[in-house]
Amino acid sequence: MKSLRIFASRLLGIFKKRKLDGDLDRELRAHIDALAEENMRRGMNEQEARRAASREFGGIEQTRESYRDQRGLPFFETLAQDLRYASRMLVKNPGFTAVTILTLALGIGANTGLFSLVNSVLLGNLPVRHPQELVVIKYTDDRSQQREEDFSYPMYLAIRDKNTVFLNVLTRSGVSFNASYGGQSERAAGEMVSGNYFETLAVEPFLGRLIGPEDDRIPGAHPVAVLSYGYWQRRFGSDPAIVGKNIILNENPIRIIGITPPGFYGTELSSNPDIRVPMMMATVFRPVPANRLQNPRHRWMTVLARRKPEVTVAQAEASLDILYHQILAAEVQELGASVNAHDKERALASRIRLEPGNQGFAHLRTEMERPLLLMFSVTGIVLLVACANLANLLLARNAKRRQEISVRLAIGAGRGRLIRQWLTESLLLSVLGGSAGILVAYWAKTALLGFLPANYSANIHAPMDFLVLGFALLASLITGLLFGLAPALQLSSTGVSIALRADSPSIASGERFFSLRSALVFLQVALSLPLLIGAGLFLHSLRNLRGVNMGFVKENVFLATLNPSLNSYPQERIKSLYEDLLARVRTLSGVRAASLTTSSLISGGWDQESVKVEGYQPGPDENMSPNAAVVSPGYFATLGIPFVEGRDFTEQDAASRPKVVIINETMAHYFFGTKDPLGKKIGTDDDPKAPPDREIIAVVKDAKYVHLSEAPRRHFYAPMAQEPRLFDMTLQVRTSGDPEKIGDLVRAQVRDLDRNLPLYATTTLEVQIDDSLAEERLLTWLSSLFGLLATLVASLGLSGVVAFSVARRTREIGIRMALGAQPGDILQNVVSHMAFLVALGMAAGLAAAYGLSRLLGSMLFEVGARDPLAFAGACFLLGAVAALAAYLPARRATEVDPVVALRCE
Amino acid sequence: MTGPRGEVLQGTLDLIVLKTLEALGPLHGYGIAVRIQQVSADLLKLNQGTLYPALLRLEQRGWISSKWGVSDNNRKAKYYSLTRSGRKQLLAETESWERMAALMTRLLGRAEGA
Repeated sequence: MKSLRIFASRLLGIFKKRKLDGDLDRELRAHIDALAEENMRRGMNEQEARRAASREFGGIEQTRESYRDQRGLPFFETLAQDLRYASRMLVKNPGFTAVTILTLALGIGANTGLFSLVNSVLLGNLPVRHPQELVVIKYTDDRSQQREEDFSYPMYLAIRDKNTVFLNVLTRSGVSFNASYGGQSERAAGEMVSGNYFETLAVEPFLGRLIGPEDDRIPGAHPVAVLSYGYWQRRFGSDPAIVGKNIILNENPIRIIGITPPGFYGTELSSNPDIRVPMMMATVFRPVPANRLQNPRHRWMTVLARRKPEVTVAQAEASLDILYHQILAAEVQELGASVNAHDKERALASRIRLEPGNQGFAHLRTEMERPLLLMFSVTGIVLLVACANLANLLLARNAKRRQEISVRLAIGAGRGRLIRQWLTESLLLSVLGGSAGILVAYWAKTALLGFLPANYSANIHAPMDFLVLGFALLASLITGLLFGLAPALQLSSTGVSIALRADSPSIASGERFFSLRSALVFLQVALSLPLLIGAGLFLHSLRNLRGVNMGFVKENVFLATLNPSLNSYPQERIKSLYEDLLARVRTLSGVRAASLTTSSLISGGWDQESVKVEGYQPGPDENMSPNAAVVSPGYFATLGIPFVEGRDFTEQDAASRPKVVIINETMAHYFFGTKDPLGKKIGTDDDPKAPPDREIIAVVKDAKYVHLSEAPRRHFYAPMAQEPRLFDMTLQVRTSGDPEKIGDLVRAQVRDLDRNLPLYATTTLEVQIDDSLAEERLLTWLSSLFGLLATLVASLGLSGVVAFSVARRTREIGIRMALGAQPGDILQNVVSHMAFLVALGMAAGLAAAYGLSRLLGSMLFEVGARDPLAFAGACFLLGAVAALAAYLPARRATEVDPVVALRCE
Repeated sequence: MTGPRGEVLQGTLDLIVLKTLEALGPLHGYGIAVRIQQVSADLLKLNQGTLYPALLRLEQRGWISSKWGVSDNNRKAKYYSLTRSGRKQLLAETESWERMAALMTRLLGRAEGA
């Protein structure tokens, strides 16, 4: 409190300066007058009296100074002085100022932009109360050590009711809806949540009420739903009257009871369900299998808990693990003789793992952590290179200001004061650059989010909040200190006499061998090379991915997904709907082939199905689950997947006919070696006693299924007509022209067939593949951009140093040439030092890259982390740019006219 | 710290000024200086100018307040007076000064005795 008052009084002192100065003068004059009067009373004459009074009083000027220091805030006054001076200097050198501010704006902006993403993806918490109390419950298989997070409903109930360490345990599972309202139907993302979901997260309704335990008691008996704020805005125009009305979800009337608050997205940053319904409605919305709420073998839900505040995560984990094993043991017991001892043992060999739940399930965070941090370090390095470059610029400018410095020193400026003034200048620059950088950051952030597939970036707003702005300020200050400190120190160590004398550049001797400026060049090269190498590795990897043999023809394929099963149609209707649709689409003009499949290529997901193979005895724990897809006839023709042998499915392979299957080459080799698989049988029945009943009628070539970087996978295809149950399927249409153009025609056909059937995920195969490479593309683009930027900045710095040294040595070079040196000798003389520095910097950069590139290993596709091509390419590029950067200014040295040079002073 | 001229210890001046104002009531700068000189019998050589930054410091801390008034010989002068928190501060500082003085006396007395 007191210090605040002192500060206020001092602050006032700055602004009321003139009046207060007058006051003080009057007060001091009165004092001296009084002293003089006293002296006169003692008998001195007036002059003597005044002189004696002054003596007694001491120095009036000193008193005034120290009074002013006491009155005002000398720190801020000096700062204001320095700032005024610094701004004058900046205005006087507009070129230098512009280059510096631009460099800083780019550097700080890129860093701030990435930080805003890091902030919201890696550091942001769920928008719920006390998120740090939340934990995600997972478990690991002892053998595979793989973390799993899917639980069965009975297991969830047991954990919820018997644990002693949690306040509350919620569960949720995703679901898709065909949502109709007012005669319009569309697909909506849904989530089934336990009755205590909102209670556990401590979320309050925006409107109406949220799902509570009373809404989640009896299977199928709670037709209520809660809408997300965004969906309510988008779909219902923020109409509050919608609460209490019915919406049709998958042909069921469901009453809307409330709206969640804005900003709430649930438990995962990368998804934002539109509609939430009670978990008990699973029997309605995911009717197959019918016993999914009772069967402990169906694991389909994820679990999040709120820990009691007094229980640590470790205690909770230990306690829950014991409970978990009791539940498992009871489950195994119940299965009785139907499972063998080996499987029982395996079922028990599992361990509970609790993970922090403050970010919910954090799938996006896990996925983005490494690329984000990588890019964040890259921009950090670019900023460092820029700092080194700016320091070099300042050093060059200092050389011009030597005279000014020595004059200042000569008339009594303190070194500390000078350093302070110089730092003020660089800090002013960096703060200006940082402010401009905030604009760059905003742009960079938007561009980065644009690189991500839309479903990822929906919830990432990455706001420019105080933390981000604070980061920009901090980055600016650190940057200013970094590039300002060395020049300031160097400058202030200038001796008075030396500087005054050395005012002519010709007298300055050659550079010291490893001067500050040389060190900065070395640093820039050493930092830039690893960036270039990283960029080279990513480029090579992306090129490999793009060049990979996908096994299908990606051009001109239109994709769209539909799910009539959500509308609770009987299977016959679904099947005939699919068949009608295919028949109609095939007649459209511009369509060369069309087919349906359960698994869309390179869409990130795939089904796997466990199989038995005729004549093949699997080992214990052998993975017998190849990828599987259910497809219509014409599938292979649509995608251009070639047959090795056999025939495609036809209309003859109907439900009533013998079951058939097509396998890929890898599966053929895996199970049959060199023998011909045609005519052999495989089985997919759950019943272990049922003999294999699907005859292999063809072998097709391998393809990439889930991701372009995957290893060859076993895969089999079953015909749509023989599948007992069909759900969502993706329509794929090969067109003769632009596949986008067929979209409206296809949509019209679907509308014509069934107006309650929304078509979603419409795209083209090419776009889908491109999207699957979003992360790789982002990394490649950014690392190339920043690598080149760093190289450019570093070579500009190098160029500057050479130019500077040539300018300083003009006279010396003139003498050398007058004495008969050839242009080549001069060039060598000027450049050799630089060449040595660059080589040294490159060696250091290579060593660093060699050590660090291993960290990239798992992000690269068919490229070694020490890929010689990337290393050599980066060295060559940097070397060439550096050579050019040094040569251009050095050539000026050879053009020196000895006569002019000698006369130039 | 105390040379032959008896220069004022940093911080001591504050105490002296406060004590002076307590003893004599509101006073202008010159009056304070004269009083200090009288009391110290010229043992303490004070550059009177140094008084003013000290007065400002005390005022900033809220221990004294100032007002322009008219002096005995009809001059405009700034009068300083002790505030309530200044009185408290004076008590506290007097106490701590006495403790310190007693300690020094004891310490020096023993050192001489040894």
